[in-house]
Amino acid sequence: MIRRCLILPLRNGITVCRNNSTAVAEQAESTQESNTPAKNPLDHPDYFQVHNLFTVKDLFDARVHFGHKEGSLNEFMTPYIYGSRQGHLIFDLDITAEHLRKALNFTAHIAYRGGIVCFFNRNALNAHLVEKTALECGEYAHTRFWRGGIFTNADHQFGAITRLPDLCIFLNTQNNILNQHTAVRDSAKLLIPTIGIVDSNCNPNLITYPVPGNDDTPVAIELYCKLFKAAITRGKEARMKFLQENN
Amino acid sequence: MFNSISMCKTLKSCNVLFYKRNFSISTKLLDTNSSDASITSEKSGFAKSFEKQSQLLQEESVPKHNFASLLRNSKLIDLGDPKDKIVIGKIFHVVEDDLYIDFGWKFHCVCTRPTNRKDDYVRGARVRIQIKDLELSSRFLGSNTDLTLLEADCKLLGIISSPIRPTTSEKSS
Repeated sequence: MIRRCLILPLRNGITVCRNNSTAVAEQAESTQESNTPAKNPLDHPDYFQVHNLFTVKDLFDARVHFGHKEGSLNEFMTPYIYGSRQGHLIFDLDITAEHLRKALNFTAHIAYRGGIVCFFNRNALNAHLVEKTALECGEYAHTRFWRGGIFTNADHQFGAITRLPDLCIFLNTQNNILNQHTAVRDSAKLLIPTIGIVDSNCNPNLITYPVPGNDDTPVAIELYCKLFKAAITRGKEARMKFLQENN
Repeated sequence: MFNSISMCKTLKSCNVLFYKRNFSISTKLLDTNSSDASITSEKSGFAKSFEKQSQLLQEESVPKHNFASLLRNSKLIDLGDPKDKIVIGKIFHVVEDDLYIDFGWKFHCVCTRPTNRKDDYVRGARVRIQIKDLELSSRFLGSNTDLTLLEADCKLLGIISSPIRPTTSEKSS
């Protein structure tokens, strides 16, 4: 039997096991002692070298710096805006690049620990691409209508005990132009970390790792999908290597 | 006074002789350089400085990749006021009579198929469009923020190239 969840101990020896449903707590098997000479991936600022996955020029060519008009600006997005050109907002790609690096590093670490990732996108133009990306990296996507209690009432709605995602990646935090996606609020309720591409009309407050940028152009979404897929793949490969070394 | 004029004439002739001599000296140098190059591959004097100067000019043309200079040299800034500017777009989707055209901006625009050369407008065709508005958004009464249609508003002017009808240059190649 392959153990689905391998929980590595933190530096002071306390193991972390989070329950999102009424399931029995999984047995925490520590394969390493706490004071081991082997390097802990959490110590390294960029263990999976995700900083090399993109440059500011790649973001620029993928039109990530385009924002909406000034009239639809959300006040919380003002720190991420470089300026406005003829009424159209431009994101500061240096700030975006820094946020994106943190988000990709976090994704790779989650994949290394064997976490489930769920992609969200309610823009019909890019829905198919997001579903294909999730399939290719072996993770999950939800790009359709969101029934109210999928996270908060999971055991009843799915009939059986469910394991919720360990990371939610929102490639578009809006459900339609007026409302935010319900899953942003629900993930915050259930302490699920989220990464979200926030455009100038989105609210970044409830998102753990917001990445300010364009979420409407297919070219930009393609770039994000490619980067997240690469980060997840790197995390999973490192995990496979670690498991093979220790077996 | 006449003595001074005659002095000037002699000086002038001396100057001419001086320049002529310099020119002959420089050509002599070049000849020696070419003969030297055939024997050894080292360059010196004028040839060396010529190489150095041409390399300096080449290094200056490397473009900067920081965001501020990328934005400053981008097509968006070159456009200026986007209203009534003509740009080239590419059709990426067709739904019966609606053409979805992408012209390098955040949004695409949707135009109806024109009546002349209607069969040339297929996916992958390059067209000329005139921008009316880069984003169709406005504030309605009683709301805090604008309502956007997530689309640009453009007028379709004509076709540039279509994969249906290859141009003469494409036929020859």
